[in-house]
Amino acid sequence: MQTLKVAACAAVFQSVIVVAFPAGAQQAPEGYPADYAGIVTAGIKEGSVNVYSPTDSEQADGLISGFEKAYPGIKVKWNDVASGAVYNRVVSEAAAGQVGSDVVWSNGLDLQLQLVEEGHVETYKSVEAANIPAWAQYKDAAYSTTVEPIVFMYNNKVFTDSVPKNHKELADLLVKKGAELQGKVTTFDPEKSASAYTVMENDVVNDNGFWTLIDAFGKAKGKVYSSSGQLREKILSGEHPFGFNVNGAYAKGWAKSNPTLTVVYPDDYTIAASRTAFISKDAPNPNAAKLFLDYMLSKAGQTAVAEAGLPSVRSDVTADNWDSVNKEAGGKLVPIKLDAALLEGLQATKRGQFFKDWKKALNQ
Amino acid sequence: MARTTADATGFRFAALAALGILVLSPVLLILYQSFLTGPFFSPLSTLGLDAYVYIFTDSDFYRALSTTAIFALGTIVVCVPLGAILAFLLTRTDLVGRRWLEGVVLVPMFLSAIVLGFGYTVAVGPTGVVTLAFERLFGFVPWNIYGLWSLMFISGLMHVPHVYLYSSAAMRNLPGDLEEAARTSGAGIWTVARHVTWPLIMPALIFSIGLNVMLAFEAFGLPLVLGDPAGVLVLTTYIYKLTTILGVPSYQLMAVVAVVLLAIIFPLVFIQRKLLSRARRFATIGGKGARVTRIRLGKGGQIAAWIGIGIWLVISIVLPIGGIAIRAFVDAWGAGVNLFDHLTLNNFQQLFSIAALQRGIINTLLLSVVGGALAVGAYLLIALAGHRWSGPGNTALDYMVLMPRALPGLIIGLAFFWIFLFVPFLKPFRLTLLSLLIAYIIVGLSYGLRLIQATLMQVAPELEESGRSAGATIKQTWSRIVVPIIRPGLLGAWIMIMIIFLREYATGVYLMTNGTEVVGSLIVSLMASGSLDTIAALALISVVMTTGGLVLANRLGGRIHE
Repeated sequence: MQTLKVAACAAVFQSVIVVAFPAGAQQAPEGYPADYAGIVTAGIKEGSVNVYSPTDSEQADGLISGFEKAYPGIKVKWNDVASGAVYNRVVSEAAAGQVGSDVVWSNGLDLQLQLVEEGHVETYKSVEAANIPAWAQYKDAAYSTTVEPIVFMYNNKVFTDSVPKNHKELADLLVKKGAELQGKVTTFDPEKSASAYTVMENDVVNDNGFWTLIDAFGKAKGKVYSSSGQLREKILSGEHPFGFNVNGAYAKGWAKSNPTLTVVYPDDYTIAASRTAFISKDAPNPNAAKLFLDYMLSKAGQTAVAEAGLPSVRSDVTADNWDSVNKEAGGKLVPIKLDAALLEGLQATKRGQFFKDWKKALNQ
Repeated sequence: MARTTADATGFRFAALAALGILVLSPVLLILYQSFLTGPFFSPLSTLGLDAYVYIFTDSDFYRALSTTAIFALGTIVVCVPLGAILAFLLTRTDLVGRRWLEGVVLVPMFLSAIVLGFGYTVAVGPTGVVTLAFERLFGFVPWNIYGLWSLMFISGLMHVPHVYLYSSAAMRNLPGDLEEAARTSGAGIWTVARHVTWPLIMPALIFSIGLNVMLAFEAFGLPLVLGDPAGVLVLTTYIYKLTTILGVPSYQLMAVVAVVLLAIIFPLVFIQRKLLSRARRFATIGGKGARVTRIRLGKGGQIAAWIGIGIWLVISIVLPIGGIAIRAFVDAWGAGVNLFDHLTLNNFQQLFSIAALQRGIINTLLLSVVGGALAVGAYLLIALAGHRWSGPGNTALDYMVLMPRALPGLIIGLAFFWIFLFVPFLKPFRLTLLSLLIAYIIVGLSYGLRLIQATLMQVAPELEESGRSAGATIKQTWSRIVVPIIRPGLLGAWIMIMIIFLREYATGVYLMTNGTEVVGSLIVSLMASGSLDTIAALALISVVMTTGGLVLANRLGGRIHE
């Protein structure tokens, strides 16, 4: 009896809230079309949004709390899904008819597009699309949300050679001082990390001297690692004082808290990697998903993520953004476009050739 | 004798069937997946041997396979004798400080290998704290932690606790009169150990050899951290490469390697059974109260023993845990860095800012303490089902117990992720801790069950027979006589399982979801974004807590092992 009463009270209270609050919430956010209010109402009714992402919840904290503040009543359920597991999780859940994700946000750009191609993604033209550069959009379904420059990082206490400013100078240094630099240089392992492969694929396109660099790297017994964590420690400790193809979004933060580390934006070209988000097909909370995706791309959402260290794709954000990163990169920032080239990189023959060349260079 | 085996057949088969479902469902799924051209759930996949052709024509596979075999051999050559000696010293002799050592020897098991490997890098890596100090003093460094030799050596030392646990559990129950008899006939300590004690605990030793071979085959963390930089490729790091090498994750290729790992089980268990068929006869817990008289080591013996133990302690505990501890309190280390300039508590503060981590800590504790107890209960039922049961059922049991041990945690996690996803009535449990618990029970099966079985095997049949002849049912005999006798073994198994569940990381990678985060798997994502300082802080806290828990258990619950 008691519980019944409580439940009844709660129901009454809830209906009061629903009547009282939505007057504000039902209004579409400023600048959004009027019918957006319907999505907001429906999203609040759904009550939660499930996000699958390898970005750890520490970095996503601002985004999550910002969204929950903007849309009270919608809870963000963050799922820490490892980078290599995102694709599997989405595909398997779809095959079992138990889609659990509303929004998927991953740095595996190629696999994100593959999921679009395989029909696991809901087409949705974000209301923020006009504010997002064209390279960051794919078929009104997937959107790149961050600018993560791929940089050199070195330990300035241990690495005392003249610092190479670009890929060519790095290759030259490795050729000239190969003996001295034995085992001193490191990079991200494309055989174990899918995102490292994607970046190198873009290196091949942007740099016709790339294989010369890799060849010299192999001769100098360069070392490869499969996580940013290992790369950072090896450079920080001076075991391998120089690293290339380090994620600059992380590196910048490390260098800030640690004066021994210096970041170099290669002045021939600096690739900008990213993480891409989409709404899942048959998402359990389709409206909340739209709200979340739009919020991720909005000025507020982009600011929150940029303040956590992942620069924004928008130029109207005061925190680190495309323009500021591009400026640091001397105007040489090259984005990884969301296009067919990324999908080609998934083809076994193309990969096979790359890894054949890679192994040949490394096992000298 | 006939009556003790005749009964409870229904129970035995039920337990065997339950185990079969738990173990064989992931195994068969993997086997099926290996014969497909794509994911098993994709309508585009067809039956075919493509994956086998790919793997068996890949030169990297053969390189990884032979390296793994050498690695496994090297590991057991180091860990089995050392573990057996350590167990002998701690349980059969009057070694000074043995009570204190009992807890300490387990410390290398508290951390996942990936974190331990990292600890070694900080301590004795090329720019490690000890390395740099040594170089400053002597001008050179005689060691290199990267490469197959150091990998085997370190892995061997890391696995000493495994051997120790199994052999000490068996040795503790040996009555002292056998050794005493040998001593009075003039045998030295070494002779007693070699000709009396070790043969008596042969079942336990053979178990631990089998287990450690499998552990070496599925080891991932150490080979990744210590082998990879030197180009040492083992089967598990090879599997890691397979996930990206074809672009879209190619589970059929991973499945083929898993099948190869499973195939290794069969000859191994076969040999093990052959060896044990002779050793099984040794039942040493008799009806008479067994009083343990400890062998006196003498002054020289004490010193010699402590020198050996000291070296082992330094290499396998002080160095890696010290490395982690240092990393947890600094923000920079390595060449040209004065650690004292970089002391900080920030790494610990960061821990508290991660909400998922707090959930993760609670979940991990739940899984290891409560889940660990449930797991031991399950293992006990299975062990009893196989107890004094000869015939094909027992054979099947032996094979099934070691099977999951051949599979890397990541693959078991993946298989259970699929099982919970695609088996209709399991759906409601997928997003709960139960899915993790089931996977964990399978992961811990060979550790926990073996510990219980080894103790069971030592209970002399006449104890059960006397119960039976006094009119007790087999259930009463087990619950009133057998289980109380092996209680120390059960407690030991519970502690072992808790430790293993605490540090497990790979199994949860595919299974965990919002609300069921576990610390081990969160470490994997922290690693990806570079937060090794946070990982070090987390690892240090977990070592301190685990050690504290063990000491407390020792104090409160009487001594764990007695």
